[in-house]
Amino acid sequence: MMAQGFRLIGESTPRMDGIAKVTGQEVYSSDIHFPNMLHARVLKSPYPHARVKRIDVSEAEKLGAIVVTYREVPDVVYCPRLVSTPEATYKDWRVLTGRPLYVGDPIAAVAAESEEMAQRALEAIDVEFEVLEPSFDPLDSMRPEKTSIHERIMYMGKEIKIENNIACTMEIEQGDVEKGFSEADVVLEREYRTNRRYHCQLEPKTAVVRPEPDGGVTIWTTTQSIHNTRLLIHEIFGIPAGKINVVKTALGGAFGSSIQTNIVVPIAVALALKAHKPVRLAYTREEDLHEHCSYQMIFNLKLGAKRDGKLTAGSLEAILDIGAHQIQAYPLLGCLVGWWVSLYKLPNLRYVGKAVYTNKVPSCAMRGFGNPQITWAVESMMDELAEELGIDPVEFKLLNHVGLGDLFWGQGPTVKSIIKSSGVEEIVRRGAKLIGWDKRPKPGEQRGRYRRGIGFGRGFHTSSAGGPVPGTAVDYTGAMLKVNEDGSFDYITALMDCGGGTLTAHAKIIAEEIGVPLECINIVRSDTQTTLYDVCTHASRGVYAGGMAALQVAREVKRKLLELAARVLDAYPHALKIRPDEERSQGVIYVEGVEGREITIGELASMARHKNWGTIAAVASVRQGSCPPHFTAYFVEVEVDTETGKVRPIRVVAGADVGSVINPKLAEGQIHGGFAMGWSMAILEDTPYDPENGDLMNRGFINNYKLPTPADLVPPDRFTVFFANTYEPTGPLGAKGIGEGALNPVAGAVANAIYNAIGIRFYELPITPIKILKALREREGG
Amino acid sequence: MYINKLNTHIIPFKFEYHAPKSVEEAVELLSRYGEEASILAGGTDLLVKMKQRVIEPKHIIDIKRIKDLTGIREEEDGIHIGAATKLRTLERSKLIEEKLPVLHEAVITMGSVQIRNMATIGGNLCNASPSADAATPLLALNAEAKIVGSEGERIIPLEEFFIGPGKTALKPDEMLAEVISPYLPENAGTSFMKIGWTDFDIATVNLAVILKLEGEVVDECRIALGGCAPTPIRVHKAEEFLRGKKLTDEVLEEAANIVSGHVRPRARWRRAPPEYRRAVSRALTIDALTIARKRIEGLEVNRGED
Ligand SMILES: Cc1cc2nc3c(=O)[nH]c(=O)nc-3n(C[C@H](O)[C@H](O)[C@H](O)COP(=O)(O)OP(=O)(O)OC[C@H]3O[C@@H](n4cnc5c(N)ncnc54)[C@H](O)[C@@H]3O)c2cc1C
Repeated sequence: MMAQGFRLIGESTPRMDGIAKVTGQEVYSSDIHFPNMLHARVLKSPYPHARVKRIDVSEAEKLGAIVVTYREVPDVVYCPRLVSTPEATYKDWRVLTGRPLYVGDPIAAVAAESEEMAQRALEAIDVEFEVLEPSFDPLDSMRPEKTSIHERIMYMGKEIKIENNIACTMEIEQGDVEKGFSEADVVLEREYRTNRRYHCQLEPKTAVVRPEPDGGVTIWTTTQSIHNTRLLIHEIFGIPAGKINVVKTALGGAFGSSIQTNIVVPIAVALALKAHKPVRLAYTREEDLHEHCSYQMIFNLKLGAKRDGKLTAGSLEAILDIGAHQIQAYPLLGCLVGWWVSLYKLPNLRYVGKAVYTNKVPSCAMRGFGNPQITWAVESMMDELAEELGIDPVEFKLLNHVGLGDLFWGQGPTVKSIIKSSGVEEIVRRGAKLIGWDKRPKPGEQRGRYRRGIGFGRGFHTSSAGGPVPGTAVDYTGAMLKVNEDGSFDYITALMDCGGGTLTAHAKIIAEEIGVPLECINIVRSDTQTTLYDVCTHASRGVYAGGMAALQVAREVKRKLLELAARVLDAYPHALKIRPDEERSQGVIYVEGVEGREITIGELASMARHKNWGTIAAVASVRQGSCPPHFTAYFVEVEVDTETGKVRPIRVVAGADVGSVINPKLAEGQIHGGFAMGWSMAILEDTPYDPENGDLMNRGFINNYKLPTPADLVPPDRFTVFFANTYEPTGPLGAKGIGEGALNPVAGAVANAIYNAIGIRFYELPITPIKILKALREREGG
Repeated sequence: MYINKLNTHIIPFKFEYHAPKSVEEAVELLSRYGEEASILAGGTDLLVKMKQRVIEPKHIIDIKRIKDLTGIREEEDGIHIGAATKLRTLERSKLIEEKLPVLHEAVITMGSVQIRNMATIGGNLCNASPSADAATPLLALNAEAKIVGSEGERIIPLEEFFIGPGKTALKPDEMLAEVISPYLPENAGTSFMKIGWTDFDIATVNLAVILKLEGEVVDECRIALGGCAPTPIRVHKAEEFLRGKKLTDEVLEEAANIVSGHVRPRARWRRAPPEYRRAVSRALTIDALTIARKRIEGLEVNRGED
């Protein structure tokens, strides 16, 4: 049931950092400057696979630059992402390397008085390489005769051997798959291949590091987790954690690319420690493109169903191209099976996942963490299967979907919980009605140049990685709330706002719960030294997990406020209420029904000071006991130009079940952004490699990495967003997440729409105009 | 070590900056520094190339302060456009919109407002990209290039201006001063078409058409094609084929086949293979001719809208 009677929840309110951002006053990491600060540049491998035979930095040093090479950094092998427990963490990174594994792998770094001088110093470094055989495709990489990319890596403090470039694997079997397929009336088996996309976050990776007199460092950086950044720097450099302070700094988006500590951070630390001066290392867009991308996946997917539409079995073989390093390959293998089995009920299933090294930019989580990839494949196959069975895809999917009361694998086999709220039926049925699903054309029936089609895709994502038992993912957060003497509140959290308005949502939850105007809540700019641990803003957990800590401290502070007010007002605490007084920008505590017995929170806090009652405050460290799915459904109408292969979106209807909607306009924004990203994933983006030099073919935004513009998307009057009427009992005031679910089903919906328009299915992303035209011509020809 | 040089942020090498106030001064600098110098207009191509280290000029000659190089003039022989005139100025010019609609249609597709505020028409032509968007309409318009150098002035047809990718007929001591576009024939219909991967992308293929009918029969047709050969080109064969013919479906098809036959693959084509460019140049030819005819007939053109 939808939450009723809220004052702020469900109302659209401007984000609290909005003015600073739109007026250009927000301070991002690259805006941080200090006197005497040096600028750094990184020397990168021009070869995809090589060994440094000789490196001479003397010319660079003659130019006055501070230089560090792979020989001077701590000899520590680490994993830059600290979200998982040691059992699920494989380590194969060093700060700088003498054995580069992809074009762009950092070998040395320089710092000088300006970026120009640093660049000149960088170009003065002389390196001789021994070039090794690279591999660019995971299938090729696994061949036994291929050169090892990593011979040994670290796991649980021990060296382990890597065979056939397979970084890690996972296998899961439930029920009897062969029997399941033999019971099926229709079985489909297909191979799907996704693209490898760049995150395209607004802000390229940056770190500013200031060495402190006590031997510590202060760090401003692009991160989704200030605490994990601190822990990693502690692990690599051995500086006591208390002397490493990572400052919460506004983040210009990340989409998962700063879950791990970005390589700029340890490099800048190494330089700052050597230079004894602050160092700023801000990547250019071209460098950023050589730093992170999404996981490319090759799926062999098989599903079987009975004539009545019930799925009987499924098998999935997934090969992941992880690039040159592991960031979270093993946790991803777990999540991937979780996403797969939590879409539709599979009574019998088998899963084999393999993560494979290649000599390419390391892959990391990108909005949805593998979910958009597998959902594209599953939603494509479910559409195909429905057609084979002669059942409407909407009915077929509803019949089999994992919903209310079902076991949900969410974040993989170690994080299972029961679904307690679901708006799937509601969003699917209402979406189908709004788009005119019944009137959609028959696939491939149209003639003429421009052909339109409607596609449907549904999906979900977890909200957080919480669960009833510990599992292999760390997921808890912390919050502090204190009442200031004027009746305002300081809210302190380590949780990062990646740009989605997450902390505004926390403030709304607090203001709603206590009963004060929103502007009373001050979000404190804090750092690792003054906050409780928060794991990371990822996994769509900002509102669901972080908001729960905010709610708990709000409840506690409210209880204390009422207790103190009870003394002053000579009433029982449970008889007291708090109402917002917008004029005084304050909450007022009053005795219901008794006139005149009231006190503002400011008066009470001030009195607490004069009477030495102490600060009214609360602190909480909170772990969520589940990670409920938020659900989405997309209905997309497209138009295919059969002469040019170009596809245009015509209309979008998107329904989302996010539990209580904290801030509708921002939640809608997530859907619009999710669609844009999914659209682009479906038809446009990729990072192909040039086999001749092993480098990316599109190395920058001007050099060909293109994104859709507003003119390529759907105007707001043809884009309908609606929310389900649900309430998540485990969420803060009924809320779940939205960030990733907003993206996950889009590519599937678009692919199905293209099929509906022209009657051709594509098993490889992106579905570019070139591929569409080729397929159309081949069909005509043959 | 290209990876370590590639960026769109830092220019680490040194150069001398000159800001001449007159064409004479600029020409004098050009003849002094020759190939070591680069002219800077809007810089939207030049600075990208410098940051990516494709070129490292020792002298930069900024021509933005030369008044004689900017502005749009109506003269008897046509419209004269100063080489340093901004695309944004052309976009906002009623004269260009009314008299050279095919150029206007191209200019509004180029880059973003921010780019058009900096970029110049001369820069677009002198950069000599095979898919330069201002080049195809101007080729179709039979425009001429007015060139100045230490030897004086010369005027050549734009068709002779483009020599290869990034190469023009300019000598090291010469610069483009003006583009002169003759007026359109009376009652001509025009169309500019462009295909890129996004709305804010350079053209994979672009095409400009100028069409004049005599009754239902083609009196004159000019077709220019971009992105399909080492330079933007005129497709004279298709023009000759169309003369004297009615624009039936068959005729359109045949004209389109002739145009697509002019696609000359280049080794460095990464955006799209030759087959794709052929297919699209066919489609764009038919589209452009159809739209140009509709415009002559005063019919509304709304492509791809619902
Ligand atoms: C983001 C972006 C989007 C773009 N989109 C488009 C697009 O859609 N379509 C398109 O066609 N182009 C596009 N461009 C390319 C560019 O903006 C245009 O080609 C522009 O017209 C160049 O003009 P400019 O004044 O900036 O040239 P500059 O960069 O100043 O000069 C370009 C070249 O011409 C030379 N030059 C300039 N003026 C003269 C002169 N008078 N005489 C002799 N030589 C001269 C310079 O030395 C240099 O070699 C885009 C560029 C960017 C960065």
